[in-house]
Amino acid sequence: MRPPSFSGQKVGELLESRYNPRRIRAVALRVVRQLKRDPRTIGLITFAPIFLMVLFGYALSGEMSGIHLGVVDHGGQDGLRSSLQGEKDFDLLYLGSQSDAQKLISDGRLQGAVVMDGGAVRLLLDASSPQVSDRIQAAVIQGLRPREATAGQVDVRYVYGYDLEMMDSVGPAVLGLVVFFFTFITTTISFLRERTQGTLEKFMVSPLSRTEMVSGYLLGFSLFTVIQSATTMLVVVFGFGVPMNGSPLTAFAIILLLGAGALVLGALFSNFASSEFQVVQFIPIVILPQVVLSGVWWPLQSIPSFIRPISYLLPLTYSSDALRMVMLKGATLSQVLVPDLLFLGGFFLVMFAAATAMLRREVG
Amino acid sequence: MAKDDDGGRAFDGRYAVVAEGLQKSFGQLRVLKDLSVSIPRGTTYCLLGPNGSGKTTLIRAIVGLIRLDGGRMQVLGQPVGQVGRLYPRIGYMTQHRALYPDLTLQENMEFFAGLYGVMGQRRADRISDLLEMVELTEHRDRLAGDLSGGMYQRLSLACTLIHEPELLLLDEPTVGIDPLLRQAFWEYFDGLAAGGVTIIITTHLMDEAERCQVVGFMRGGSMLAESSPEALKRLAGLFTTLRLWTGDLEGDRARLESRGYEVRVGAGPALEVVLQSHDQIKAVLDQVQPLDVRLVEPSLDQAFLKLAEVR
Ligand SMILES: Nc1ncnc2c1ncn2[C@@H]1O[C@H](COP(=O)(O)OP(=O)(O)OP(=O)(O)O)[C@@H](O)[C@H]1O
Ligand SMILES: [Mg+2]
Repeated sequence: MRPPSFSGQKVGELLESRYNPRRIRAVALRVVRQLKRDPRTIGLITFAPIFLMVLFGYALSGEMSGIHLGVVDHGGQDGLRSSLQGEKDFDLLYLGSQSDAQKLISDGRLQGAVVMDGGAVRLLLDASSPQVSDRIQAAVIQGLRPREATAGQVDVRYVYGYDLEMMDSVGPAVLGLVVFFFTFITTTISFLRERTQGTLEKFMVSPLSRTEMVSGYLLGFSLFTVIQSATTMLVVVFGFGVPMNGSPLTAFAIILLLGAGALVLGALFSNFASSEFQVVQFIPIVILPQVVLSGVWWPLQSIPSFIRPISYLLPLTYSSDALRMVMLKGATLSQVLVPDLLFLGGFFLVMFAAATAMLRREVG
Repeated sequence: MAKDDDGGRAFDGRYAVVAEGLQKSFGQLRVLKDLSVSIPRGTTYCLLGPNGSGKTTLIRAIVGLIRLDGGRMQVLGQPVGQVGRLYPRIGYMTQHRALYPDLTLQENMEFFAGLYGVMGQRRADRISDLLEMVELTEHRDRLAGDLSGGMYQRLSLACTLIHEPELLLLDEPTVGIDPLLRQAFWEYFDGLAAGGVTIIITTHLMDEAERCQVVGFMRGGSMLAESSPEALKRLAGLFTTLRLWTGDLEGDRARLESRGYEVRVGAGPALEVVLQSHDQIKAVLDQVQPLDVRLVEPSLDQAFLKLAEVR
């Protein structure tokens, strides 16, 4: 038997048979046509994010009066702790280490932090907002007063952060959340429909490969992801005055990569649902953990360390970080490459492979 | 796993589909039981059998949609494991709905054309020809979901034919289609078969089965018999009979029997003369002067019932 030859033409043919741009385009065009004809979904895709942002914006604007104070408690200062807990306008965030606290202050997400370490009390304050710093310092001294002797031991350090409103920090992360949520739900339902309306069976008996099918969906949906993230971004930036210090294109790139991950995850999960009712049940399984654990609302560092490994497996953790870096600190694409884009890219590839493998040819 | 090797006598190029000893179970339910089938190229082959006899399952096995538990099969000369390579040459119309209700007829057809690389002028021509054939031209911009049941079925057929497949598998394509259009479809199918296309079709309508060159009787997941409709009737011991009402039942019977005809007395009472061919009608009528005559053709369902009893 002759060994198989791999001439350029053969490889070209093989590629052509498995990955044909025309077929991908046919799928993409079809997806766009279907969505175009579905005004409710289009409305949902474009206006729901705006609605959500407005809702969050108002809900969070009330919280802006609170002072976000980190507490690193290594024991020994029960009196101070309970006195701080009694301060009504303090939002306490319990953290594991001083370096976590330092990072959050420099990110603008905390206005200060108290480190209690036996007899010693260290106070980290944001140098950019002196009034708040004074307020924190006064409260700490107040808390220590019953034990006058230690009052002198407060070691005050200044960290260079910046004055950040709650919406500034939440906005970029919610941008990712909104895109992830809607892309995941719409694609899960679309893929499920392919199966329930019998078209998947016809696909399977056509030259269209599974890779081409998922790629076609990616192409078709990316158009809507762009529209969706553009509207949401406009609301975030112009409606709520969240800064856009980096390039909007970089932010788009991050969102598109996240959206692509959500799409292939949806394609994968569609295999586990047999009705649209069951798709709704994925929301608490897939979306809720991300809302709670990925640092959208409260910093990752405040999540108890035994669940934090889960946080590091969630794509939203990385998109939130990357979008904050770009929008607030003006980071470039290369600055968010490691670990954020690398993780998002890896997540996409793994889920893509899993989704195409699951769309089996043998349906029965 | 189905074995892919060939070497059996029937496994040669004359057949579009040839299979031996196919086995398939869904859990406890044995759906294909040691099924064998051979479908010559360029024929119209009808799968006939009661609900649940495994017709759809056999078709899905042929196109590689289900993994067989045993047996071997070749499709267009390829072992069944390689059937994926043949998809550009196969057209499969599913029994159940498989189109996009939220796309127009034109868009549905364009999409399936795109999957098969039918582009440009050829695509435009194919779409208008096929819409013409299924008489849906004036509805081309309506949504597929708004079509009536029969119209939907017609669109589904048109989409299946878009890439001019050489092996067509049509699972109950004429359900819900009016008699006039059904007639037109069958003429179209005959034309395709004359051009070398192999058509595998399932139906519950006997007149449609009669039109096929080969009929496969399926029951309980196996092939009861496969042959031409006429041969199947003969195999079942059914013949065309001439039914004669005469004044002299016994006398006429004796006369005909003496000429070598097989004669029975049937309900009526009337004489039933078994004919080997229609040419004998005149000869029989020369012998007797009946009050009334009727030609009785056996039907395929009678043949099916007979064969199902025997085997
Ligand atoms: N995917 C499946 N899972 C479980 N059982 C199945 C599956 N597909 C078919 N069956 C069973 O296999 C048997 C044969 O089904 P099949 O669809 O092949 O029948 P059919 O001859 O096409 O019937 P009909 O004339 O009603 O179309 C039925 O009992 C059916 O319930
Ligand atoms: Mg069937």
